[in-house]
Amino acid sequence: MSEDIALMAHLMRRAGFGASRGELEAYAAQGYEATVEWLLHPGDPGDFGEDLAKRRAIGFDEGGAAFELWMVRMIHSNNPLEEKMALFLHGLFPVIYMSQGRALLNQLDSFRRYAFGSFRDLLVALSSDPAMLLFLNNNDNHRDAMNENYGRELVELFSMGVGNYTEKDVKECARAFTGWTLGNADYMAVRAGKNSFDPYGSIAWHYEYRPEDHDTGVKTFLGETGEFDGEDICDIIARQPSSARFICTRLFQFFAADTVDEGGRRTIDEMVETYYSSGYETRSVLRTLFNSDYFKSEQARYARVKGPVELVINAVRMTGASPEPTAGSAGANGATGPMGQAVYRPPSVEGWHEGKEWIESGALMERVNFVAKLFRDPSKQGVRDIVDRIAGSNGGVYSPEETVDMCLDLIGPVRASEETRSYLVEFASTGGDVDLRGDDRGESEARVGEILALITATPEYQFA
Amino acid sequence: MFTLEYVKTIGGGRKIRPYDIAFSADGKYYVLNHATGFGAGRFTVCNFEEDIIAELPDNAGDGTFAQPVAIAFDRNERMFVLDEAKHRVTILDKNAEFLGEWGTQGSGDGEMDRPAALRFDGNDDCYVSDQMNHRVQKFTKDGDYLLQWGDFGDGDGQFNMPWGLNLDSQGCVYVADWRNDRIQKFTPDGEFMASFGESGRGDGQLDRPSCVAVDREGYVYVGDWGNERVQVLDPDGGFVTKLRGQATLSVWASRFIDSNPDEKRTREASNLYPDLPPELSSPFHVSSQTEPHFFGITSLHVDDEDRLFVVDSRRQRFQIYQKRPGR
Repeated sequence: MSEDIALMAHLMRRAGFGASRGELEAYAAQGYEATVEWLLHPGDPGDFGEDLAKRRAIGFDEGGAAFELWMVRMIHSNNPLEEKMALFLHGLFPVIYMSQGRALLNQLDSFRRYAFGSFRDLLVALSSDPAMLLFLNNNDNHRDAMNENYGRELVELFSMGVGNYTEKDVKECARAFTGWTLGNADYMAVRAGKNSFDPYGSIAWHYEYRPEDHDTGVKTFLGETGEFDGEDICDIIARQPSSARFICTRLFQFFAADTVDEGGRRTIDEMVETYYSSGYETRSVLRTLFNSDYFKSEQARYARVKGPVELVINAVRMTGASPEPTAGSAGANGATGPMGQAVYRPPSVEGWHEGKEWIESGALMERVNFVAKLFRDPSKQGVRDIVDRIAGSNGGVYSPEETVDMCLDLIGPVRASEETRSYLVEFASTGGDVDLRGDDRGESEARVGEILALITATPEYQFA
Repeated sequence: MFTLEYVKTIGGGRKIRPYDIAFSADGKYYVLNHATGFGAGRFTVCNFEEDIIAELPDNAGDGTFAQPVAIAFDRNERMFVLDEAKHRVTILDKNAEFLGEWGTQGSGDGEMDRPAALRFDGNDDCYVSDQMNHRVQKFTKDGDYLLQWGDFGDGDGQFNMPWGLNLDSQGCVYVADWRNDRIQKFTPDGEFMASFGESGRGDGQLDRPSCVAVDREGYVYVGDWGNERVQVLDPDGGFVTKLRGQATLSVWASRFIDSNPDEKRTREASNLYPDLPPELSSPFHVSSQTEPHFFGITSLHVDDEDRLFVVDSRRQRFQIYQKRPGR
């Protein structure tokens, strides 16, 4: 395996959901920086079967099954970083499913639109997103009866962080967002209370600005004074050094490493510099990150625990296990919940606790069982491709050591410790050499599948 | 030329979950519901005045229907119901008593793979769009195979997952060639005659058409499913007009609203035509949040009185328009 392939595999694990060896070879041929640019400029997501899903299952996108559609898109989209950013933003600005899948799918469309643009514009869009408005009660934030819930989380969890604002700032922030509300909140609330789909089926919340309910008075926020509205607040927040460091650090931790070391701090400094020089543009910040020496270094590889969604989507993509993308076909959404990450069901407004918390013992078993089952099956196209590559590489008869090394390479590559490799070789040795010559090789294919499955149970496989 | 004047909406209040409709000789509407429950049987029999005449149960011979997608009467007013997931046709009388069935899954002559639509011609033979075999087959009403045409592709006479089909007064067959974004017209024996439409959102362009109907003058009505609209084409395929849907409260819906004053009060204060942000500008997004618009058109019919029936499956209703002479 060449260093180019290893580096490309690293990039695609982080900026996407992994890639097959054939895809990695194509990306490596076009070059690293060209691939980064391709990732940063999403185009047509391609035909991932949304039309068929809608044809086959009327209205599935209105309920909890809606998230399966997102999973299908993650699996099949031509824009892996766009979907990865949507996942990042869902974790950064979490809302909890409230009986209407459509509002949350709409929020994902908003995330996709603003994912690579200005952080300021993203905050404005977030502040007028119906699911967020409802989740954090900004529809109850009135000129004469303030509700500071959204205003508080905007400065505490969604941008600057604790210690960078005062209680007065929270109140002034909330005042600026009065009148940012839902156009049909009362109607939707009555319907939701009765689980009513009458008279004509589901409709979604929609944003509405009500000037008569907006506090037009003078406000002082983070030391600046004016007749601020919500957009002004987002302008001011986006200018803050604490906001720049917040978003750059969160991007670093999601894409580069769970833990920020000295090298990581220097990279974040570079990202912050780009944040300002680009007008707060996330695309530019990500470009700085992905092209940094730190990101490309050995140190950054396998420095993140795969989140459950990343793990599952990667496995489904790699094995080609979702040939007909209809609601429920991927089984992905049902799988990530027991692993600790049911999308749109985060534990709180703080989102998920990532890193090693993903692999507490119960979740680890779920992870291994789901992924091993896919890789154990040589009838799956992605597994077939691995078997065929092994079969075609050197005559077709392989020692247990050779077989294990090729499996470790083609499933990732996965960088196994000597102890792990020894264990895998010991397992592979029970059947002797692997013979993949000719047509009668079913037993050997099954052994390759078992080795692949066992690799997915190793500690090393849990890292991206 | 002509205009299409909105007449009324039938549905709502969970009375129906329509996917297709058939019309009996005595003027009743037999609504095939894709889902049951909340008061809706598998078939709801009603009329223009919105009287519910009967709710008829599943009676598919070996149990319930799995995914019924089409309903049509033969000349003896036997009800033919096509089940996409069971790959077969079930024959019922007008009370939904089981009379028989035919069809089996496969790709051979007379076999079907996820059939999607069924319509009779003037000789009481029927045409079936055979979705996953990418073809149209013709059968006698007893299920005897007569002929077929089409295979997978995008050339003339080829299909990509055909959905709805319908016939004109000459017996010519119009097929909604779903993933090819076009309508194809054939002779009764399957000779290619014409193709209408191309991919897109503009006038005359289509996005995954689901169904088609033809009036007595040869105007073609297309259920432009992905664009959430009905387009009307002249007999040569030229664009004439389009409908986006303008549903009002049906009798059933009004009864529901009137008996739920909390919903009535808050509904009246709610904007049913909201302004949406740029990322939600697709026809699907707009329809999902604009209640009067069409949302998931699965079937179209033009009756003998030049009334257009549009089955609005995701809104649990159908809308009726009247064709009138005019500019």
